[in-house]
Amino acid sequence: MRVRLAFATIFLGILLAAGAALQAHHSFSATYDGNKPITLRGKVVKLGWQNPHAHIYVGVTNADGKVVTWEVESAGPTTLMKQGLRKEDFVGAEVIIKGYLAKDGTPTVNASSFTLVDSKKEYVNEEKTQ
Amino acid sequence: MTRLMSVLCVAAAFGAQTGALAQARPDFSGTWKISQSKSSRNVVGNNPDIQFPSQLDVKQTPTDIAVVATSVRQRPVSATYTLDGSKVNVQAPEGITETGQAMLNGSNLVITSRRSFSSPVGDVVVDFKEVWTVNGNELTIEKTRTQVGDTPSTQKAVYDKS
Repeated sequence: MRVRLAFATIFLGILLAAGAALQAHHSFSATYDGNKPITLRGKVVKLGWQNPHAHIYVGVTNADGKVVTWEVESAGPTTLMKQGLRKEDFVGAEVIIKGYLAKDGTPTVNASSFTLVDSKKEYVNEEKTQ
Repeated sequence: MTRLMSVLCVAAAFGAQTGALAQARPDFSGTWKISQSKSSRNVVGNNPDIQFPSQLDVKQTPTDIAVVATSVRQRPVSATYTLDGSKVNVQAPEGITETGQAMLNGSNLVITSRRSFSSPVGDVVVDFKEVWTVNGNELTIEKTRTQVGDTPSTQKAVYDKS
């Protein structure tokens, strides 16, 4: 009985973890508007260095002089590292991001490419899936 | 003298006809589907630097060209351009304002457009320039995107007629 309960608990845990991973790895077109390209320039204030997507938080000054923090969804750490980017490169760095606006109107973009201004390190999305 | 004039007239008429043939308008009509293998890197897929529609439905007349651009799970963008370069409104999805103009330039079609929409950092204005070239059942589009505060970027996509 105890063994069965343990197996059931483990199975439930696996199911929950898989569900969370699937939700994190959502479709681009469900969340972002491919008709709204945008270029942002600002300083990285925070970094979420996790799979399946790294999240870069960037302070961007708008026309009124107010700083808006944008959430930038990028490729995962493995892909970024393959392109020569390390976790230490980001926080405090000035970055230029090209991407697409979120459909929900929040300051969120999906990066198609970005450049760290001082180090000149670049990321280019090479994903080929629809 | 009369014979010489006749020969010159025939030669002139022949030359004019050849010139007219050389100036024949390219026809972009048809349904065109993007070719992933023939297009340049990063124009298809989840979030390319420059977005190209996955399908184009084009109807061309001597005076104008109607284009419906469709992308996977994105709302279509359509316009009927007059080929004299007049500015027209592009039917863009809600929240986007776009105007454009088209002109034939030799064997190319050149479409320029300006798209604007609001964002959390204010209004965004993006300029596009597309140069279309048709070669049999293949359509090539070179597209340049320019945005304030950014260097222009250009990508090329190839479409197959279906």
